[in-house]
Amino acid sequence: MNRRIRAIFLKEVRSEMRTKSGLTTTVLFSLFTVVTISLATFDLQISPQLGAGLLCVALLFAAIVALPRTLIIEEEQGTGDLLRLVAKSEDVFWGKVLYNLVLMLITGLVLSLLFLGFTHIGVAHLWLYLVCLFGSCCSFSGAVTLCGALVAQASNRSALVGVLSVPLLLPLTFLAVSGLRVAFDTKFGFNQMNGFIAGGGLVCYGIASLAGGQYLFAAVWKR
Amino acid sequence: MTNRSTSTILKAAFALAVGVVTIWSFEVPDAEGFQFPALARIFFWHFPCPMIATTLLFLGAWFSYRYIKTGDLKADVRAIASMELGYLFCILTMLTGIVFSQAQWGSWWQNDPRQTSFLMVLLIYAAYFALRTALADEHRRAANSAIYALSALLPVLFLIFVFPRLPQVQSFHPNTSIMGGQIKGPYAYVVTAVLALVTVLTVWLYRLRVKVGLLELLVEDKNDGLETAGGHTPAAPVVRPVRVSRDR
Repeated sequence: MNRRIRAIFLKEVRSEMRTKSGLTTTVLFSLFTVVTISLATFDLQISPQLGAGLLCVALLFAAIVALPRTLIIEEEQGTGDLLRLVAKSEDVFWGKVLYNLVLMLITGLVLSLLFLGFTHIGVAHLWLYLVCLFGSCCSFSGAVTLCGALVAQASNRSALVGVLSVPLLLPLTFLAVSGLRVAFDTKFGFNQMNGFIAGGGLVCYGIASLAGGQYLFAAVWKR
Repeated sequence: MTNRSTSTILKAAFALAVGVVTIWSFEVPDAEGFQFPALARIFFWHFPCPMIATTLLFLGAWFSYRYIKTGDLKADVRAIASMELGYLFCILTMLTGIVFSQAQWGSWWQNDPRQTSFLMVLLIYAAYFALRTALADEHRRAANSAIYALSALLPVLFLIFVFPRLPQVQSFHPNTSIMGGQIKGPYAYVVTAVLALVTVLTVWLYRLRVKVGLLELLVEDKNDGLETAGGHTPAAPVVRPVRVSRDR
């Protein structure tokens, strides 16, 4: 890893360790979501389709709550200009994305474990489940980091980041639902190939959004 | 002949063409395979809308890219003109599609994947306009919305071209109307005529919108110039005579 990217990543980790507000907020949000789902479906047997949809929606909103913070906070604290002076935009992007990816992976893991525990849904294809989870986390972290940069200097940024991110992430959510419902399927016999295509598509989408995001971020960050 | 009279003649010719094509669309024989073939005529106006909308949205993305490359606000004016018109045609697509859905399938909203994916496209571009309203500085507004338009390109491509054709997606909406040769005979002629008319209308509206945008830009530049000349000039120093006296 590039030295400067590592420095920015470590800066994010240290400032998170100092306050722990990002992680606490995200984990609590995940817990509340899962408990709410469990409360709403207490007398229902959740089907793989519904389970996949609920998990993806929970992941999507957890990402929107947690990830844009890293860039918005730079503008709020007035440290954005210093960062612009000392680091290249691509280093900032990759440092922030790596941190967001780690945060999102932790969130995804906690959220999915809680979800599986509370809703009693079984995982039939563990590898597909993990691929979908990883692909979703990659794509969400790339897209939401970029949206965070876009709204960092806007008015009403906290609300706006959700408005910008959700429509961009909806196609990904569809792919994730397609993959996860096959991963959860124990009795309907969904076509496994469709699940693996969706999982592969999700990973490719994630790679494309990260690769393109670097250049798009550079155009926003330096202005 | 003056420019104004040429323009009047062209507008009159266009209005006449719209009238003729509208009458023609009611004269063609009913299409087969629809529940209410007479009501299926809204298809003539529904079909060109998504094509024009998609073209304009890509044109908007192209001008956004041009803005990022050059930093010229004229490119931003062209981008916003394309986006606004594209959005208008997206809304028309949704409205005509909803009417078609009610007439043929008995429900205003079918939850059809094609309808839903187009609604998502509409939401993506609604977010684009929301972003523009939240940024005060014109260059930042232009840059950030250009980046958003470019980053929205991948999801939009997926939603318009990939998602409806996925094997697990079952839709009422046909995907092979043109390529499969399902539009033929008089129907094909009317569809082509309406498409041509809507394209002409779009080009005219686009040019007007760009003209208005460029004039706005010019006015803003002039205002900035006046402010610089009048308001930002440092005031002339005032020297007040002060008496210094030693005798007390």
